[in-house]
Amino acid sequence: MRVTTSTMLQSTMRDLAQGLSRLQDTQTRLSSGKELIRPSYDPSGTSTAMGLRQDLRRADQHARSLDDAQGWLDTADQALTASLGVLTRAKDVAIRAASSGGIGDVNGRSAYAAELRSLRAELLSLANSSFGQRSVFNGTAAGAAYDPSGVYQGNAASVVRDVAPSVQIPVNMTGPQVFGTAGGAVGDVFEVLDRLATAVLNGDANAITTEQANLQTRYDGVANATVEIGTRAARVEETRTRSTEMRGVLTERLSQVEDVDIVEALITAKAQEGSYQASLQAVAKILPMSLLDFLR
Amino acid sequence: VPSLSSLNTPHTGLNAQRRALDVIAHNVANARTEGYHRQRVEIGSLGTTATTGVFSGASRTYGADVVSVTRAYDEVLASRAIREDATRQSAASMRTAMTTVESIFPEPTDLGLSAVLDTFWGSWTDLANDPGSLAARSQVLENARWLATSLNRTDSQLQAVATDAATRIGGLAVEVNDLAAQIADLNRTITSSSPPNNDLLDRRDVLAGRLANLTGATVRPTTGGKVDVLLGGRALVMDTSVQTVTGSTGVLQWTSDSAAVNPASGEAHGLASVIADVVPRYRAMLDGVASQLVTSVNALHTAGYDQAGTTGRNFFDPANLTAGTIRLSADVLGQPANVAAGAPVLPGPVAPGPLDGEQARQIAALAESASGADAQYQSLVTTLSLETRAARSRFDIQEQVADTAMRDAASVGSVSIDEEMVALTTAQRAYEANARVMTAIDEMLGFLIERTGVVGR
Repeated sequence: MRVTTSTMLQSTMRDLAQGLSRLQDTQTRLSSGKELIRPSYDPSGTSTAMGLRQDLRRADQHARSLDDAQGWLDTADQALTASLGVLTRAKDVAIRAASSGGIGDVNGRSAYAAELRSLRAELLSLANSSFGQRSVFNGTAAGAAYDPSGVYQGNAASVVRDVAPSVQIPVNMTGPQVFGTAGGAVGDVFEVLDRLATAVLNGDANAITTEQANLQTRYDGVANATVEIGTRAARVEETRTRSTEMRGVLTERLSQVEDVDIVEALITAKAQEGSYQASLQAVAKILPMSLLDFLR
Repeated sequence: VPSLSSLNTPHTGLNAQRRALDVIAHNVANARTEGYHRQRVEIGSLGTTATTGVFSGASRTYGADVVSVTRAYDEVLASRAIREDATRQSAASMRTAMTTVESIFPEPTDLGLSAVLDTFWGSWTDLANDPGSLAARSQVLENARWLATSLNRTDSQLQAVATDAATRIGGLAVEVNDLAAQIADLNRTITSSSPPNNDLLDRRDVLAGRLANLTGATVRPTTGGKVDVLLGGRALVMDTSVQTVTGSTGVLQWTSDSAAVNPASGEAHGLASVIADVVPRYRAMLDGVASQLVTSVNALHTAGYDQAGTTGRNFFDPANLTAGTIRLSADVLGQPANVAAGAPVLPGPVAPGPLDGEQARQIAALAESASGADAQYQSLVTTLSLETRAARSRFDIQEQVADTAMRDAASVGSVSIDEEMVALTTAQRAYEANARVMTAIDEMLGFLIERTGVVGR
């Protein structure tokens, strides 16, 4: 092919421009620290990175839900543990009141009854425990779970938290689930304590024995609920550990997809710089050559 | 025996070599002129013409003359270069448009729609965690409004790409008409001289190349160095008459009958497919995201209950299903208490407790749906990134092809200084040699004049 000054100039200019634009690409990667400057640079990488970023944002969301779930469960756990203490004391009082010395002493009976009533009030306030202004044993109803007379105000709804992708943990137990259903043969724990106090006051030994058995039933119910809440708290904790690990993995993978391998990019930049300089030198040597230099 | 007429032969030689020198000077002067093709002088001998000599009846005369001045031009290579360059231009305008569309979707970052969607869903989860909080409800509304605004803005940015292309077509039509008129003018001028003036031909070819760049118009040579220019199968320039086009409506049309011009390549082709294909397609995909968002959120929201136990409220305005128009419904706009976070209690359905956040949780779970707005948006970005990459690599390849074609064409016509210097030296030497011949004849004649008739003197 015939080569002339202008065709040579054109192709040289194009080669130089290409070299420079490659160098600029590498420089942009280096200065931004990002491999994915635009989606089209790496469509599949972009798709992966978008998915990973989405997962990370969801993980943040789940972390917030986990905190919330833990708050609920901790509140419930504390209330239930304290409730068990209260009920144990109530059982003690009932045993002492039922003893031969207890039954005979009128003043002692009224003191035992008063103590039982105060324990009932204490239990009632525990049953109204709230987390962030929300009663934890109230289902989805507003306000306190039990009114001062011990009647359940809430509903039977469960409260669920999304704590990980497709993992839901129920964070609440309703009043009846923990303290028993009002009415019926046994009634809830407040009714039992009420009747027990009355039986103690009246010195009715048979009634005291019946209510002692009922109290034990309710005690077991609360104990079961405590175990249940504890199990859920353990699941929340376990999920949190796994989520934290997962977050680490996600962040690392995102970095692998998105971030520039600095060493590789630097070496590439150096190589491109070298080849650009070499072509500049070649151009500087070859282009000025002309027959004119050799004609007299 | 030399005669006075012998002086004529080196004289024709001197003339011919001087013409050759003129053309070499012309080449060197135009070494960097766009579209210039180097010219060559063809010198022929004058050996056959018989004239009557002074002393010897009929005799042959000798000498040389310039037969023609031709330009180094390869029809095939030149038209291939023009065609490939027009295709390159089409690919370039497509690449530019795709890159612009791509920049409207800043992914993967925390600035794109993907992040806005996640924030929106996240605020539903927060509401589910704390249904009693008015702040959480306000947050849901605020994030929804931001999402709607982002979709509106993205849509109008896409539309702007098409509008810009339409405006460019208007300007392009003016350029096309101007070039066509110039070509028709040159056709007229070219026919007035025979043989056609090489420099005018070069200028005309440059104009035709520009026209091809804009519209992919093709050139058909006719008699006497003239050309006709065809655009989408119809004549734009026929001899010296011109048809005009208009682009004021954003579509390239013939002025005479408003028929659409269908440019096969060139910038106009790229622009037309941006307006008719690329932008509508991505807008439709974005509309899909918006309508999916409206219908899926509304389906759950109308079934849900607010704290006062009211149900049946739309969250987004169900009448506005496109990305350009999506907005909050009047039921909830500015009324955070009306956001339905509670799920219906079945059977019934009856209103749940005021602190139920189940429906909000369900709405937040839409983010995970395989056919949901997020998934649709992600597929939009993937399609876009693949298409942009294809557009860019098509341009890169076409640029190589066009560069090669143009270099091939230029290799025939471009001026090589070295070559011209060799030709210059040759012509110079030939000129000197002719002058030397003239001197020799002069000396011989002088010898005759001074020495004849002096015998025995």
